[in-house]
Amino acid sequence: MSSAADLLSDPAVNAYIHRLIGDDGIGLIERFPEEGEYSDEELAEKTGVNLNTVRHTLYTLYEKRLAEYRRLKNNETGWLTYLWHLRLDRVTDVIEEDIRDVLEHLDARLSYEERNDFYMCKNCGVIFTFTDAASWNFECPNCDEMLDHFDNELLATALRKRVQKIKESLGSD
Amino acid sequence: MTDQEEEALNLIQSHRQGVLQSELWKLLDIDSRKCSRIVKRLIDAGLIERIEFRSDGIKTYLLRAKKRAIDPSVILAGTEILPCIGCDQECTPEECPQLLDWIYQLALEEYQE
Repeated sequence: MSSAADLLSDPAVNAYIHRLIGDDGIGLIERFPEEGEYSDEELAEKTGVNLNTVRHTLYTLYEKRLAEYRRLKNNETGWLTYLWHLRLDRVTDVIEEDIRDVLEHLDARLSYEERNDFYMCKNCGVIFTFTDAASWNFECPNCDEMLDHFDNELLATALRKRVQKIKESLGSD
Repeated sequence: MTDQEEEALNLIQSHRQGVLQSELWKLLDIDSRKCSRIVKRLIDAGLIERIEFRSDGIKTYLLRAKKRAIDPSVILAGTEILPCIGCDQECTPEECPQLLDWIYQLALEEYQE
């Protein structure tokens, strides 16, 4: 199984995990012992990461199946202890599931870019569809500057290629 | 799927050229009989394929994933991650400014290539 350091050396995996758990969470993963399973308090002590951050990070990772726990019950006190370990080996599958979920947003944006003609205010940088620009008589509603045609072909082409690449790799096209 | 089956599948998927069955059990640190049972279950589930292979005159099998693991880099434009990942805002992809910024990065990357 690849170590957390190996996985985090992949820029995309690193960016993905960073989006989930932030700098502090990455700090926990980098210092998480490779073997064994640990309670949140042990992890805070071993890694020097704040206990609340440890808990928050573990729950976030758990929701994505990237961490697991085993629950132990103390028969004398009835207290429960949760012993955690990481399952970062699943990260590629988890990224794939997220991509499947957001693909429809990319499709919707691509369709919008392909379907519309755009106009832009060079002062404000705001972009309008043809319909909106026409309703403002091709004058910027913020500064009255005349709107210029905005060629989105480069944007649409780049997005189209990426959507195609994603669909090919998902096997859904 | 058991943890060991999942680990075996991840390992096979991460080698695009495939993995020899005679190597797989060593990589997984299990015995060859157990490995055969895992491989059979992955084949039966349609997740991998097994091709006869001779290594130093000894017959073994090359194991290849049927569906390749996705390349995670498709979520990146330059160093920017796709903003839809982990986004909990109300979604209007047609007008999302974060998504537009990401598409600009994508076009820039394309232009630089």
